[in-house]
Order: sequence, then structure tokens, then C-alpha cells
Amino acid sequence: MDREAEFRRLFDAHRGPVHAYFTGRIGDRQAAADLTQDVFLRVWQHLDKLTDMPDDGQRAWVFTVARNLSIDAGRLTRTRTDTERTLAREPARQPQPGSPASVPVIAAERATVVGEAIKELPEDQRVALTMAAAGTMTSGEIAAALGVPAGTVRYRLSMARRALATALDNYDHAGEER
Amino acid sequence: MSLDDDISAWAATVRLTDAEADDIFGRIAATPLPGPTPRLDAQWWRGFTADFAARMVTSTRPVRQAA
Repeated sequence: MDREAEFRRLFDAHRGPVHAYFTGRIGDRQAAADLTQDVFLRVWQHLDKLTDMPDDGQRAWVFTVARNLSIDAGRLTRTRTDTERTLAREPARQPQPGSPASVPVIAAERATVVGEAIKELPEDQRVALTMAAAGTMTSGEIAAALGVPAGTVRYRLSMARRALATALDNYDHAGEER
Repeated sequence: MSLDDDISAWAATVRLTDAEADDIFGRIAATPLPGPTPRLDAQWWRGFTADFAARMVTSTRPVRQAA
């Protein structure tokens, strides 16, 4: 397999989970895309080493790089500041429960409620949930990527889902009261 | 809608799109790899080493012997 094809295989296998990881960590999908690019640039530069590894080893290597990048405090701070500036310019759209909206609009509003509730989650729950939902990873895969027991990931997911269910209940009840 | 549906709908709004992924892939694949470190010819090293050794011997000879 030539170099670019091998890189394509690794990129397609891990880009979603890596982007989901960063989105969960920093809460900004564009900054997450930039960091994802940084991770895969390192993959590209170290491809010869990665090619000889089993799939599990490749995933572990990729997420070790991702975790190291995400704890670059300066960069995270800068990203958060940029995100806050962006949010200050463009405040999140407030859902209006009970409005005579079509089903897709209601679905979009509920997705917004979920997004707002996810921002309020503790970071470890937010990361686990984002990796599961946006990265379509199993709890075992998330556990391996984060270096924590699978039971811990399942607990975090359970807590996160409970918080989201509460947020959606509140949204639904607010709609009924109007 | 179920909670899973709502979470899936949110996930679709944050997931990396194929277009964004292709953009990232293209940028990385166009990045030149660091080339091999330029290496000096083996003959140059042999000459350098011999010359260096000779200089060391000369420079560390006792003054009387050097004279």
C-alpha cells in the first residue's frame, strides 16, 4: 500500500473519534478541527512507525498525541478565549418551546437544548458523551482512548444522559406552561 | 422523540463533515515530509578523523620534542 493510501486508511478510521474528543474537551468544533489536523500531521510524519503497529496500537498512539495536544494549556486557553469571543458576538439561539414550528424545527430546537446542556456538563462527562455520540465510539473504545476503565466511561455516559434528560424535561415543561 | 434521537441530532451539528475532512486530508498530504538528514561522505569522515588525530598528536607533543 502506498504512503497516501495508508494515511487515508488511518485518517478515515480515526478522524471522527479524534474530532469528537477535541470537541468534547474544548466545546468548539472549529478549534477541534484545527487540533485534529495537528494530530494527523504527526500521523503523516510518523506513518512508517505506525504502519508496523496493530490497530489497537495505532489508536493508542493517535490518542496519546491528541491528549498531549489538548493539555497544551496555552493553546487551550487561547482557543477558549476565541470561543468566548465568538459566543459573545453570536449568542446561542434560544429555543422557543411551544411555538407553532414544524417537526424539523422542533428537532433542531431540542438539539440546541441538548447542546446547551452538554456545555454545562463536567468535562469528563462531556468528553465521553461527545465521543460516543459524535465519534460513534463504544464505551470500550472510549475507555481505551482515554486510558480509563470502561466502567468509568459507562458511568460518565449514564450521568451525562441523566443530565440531558432533565434539561429536555425542563424544556418540554416550559413549553406546556406557555 | 427519544433522548437518543435528540443526542444524535445534536451530534450531527458538531461532527466533522466530509468536506472538512477532505480539506484537512488534502492539506496534510500536500505537506512535504522532512527529508533525510544530509550526511557527510564516509571518505570525508575518514580524512577528517585522520587529520584530527594527527593534529591532536602534534599539539600535545612536549615542546622539547616538537622543537
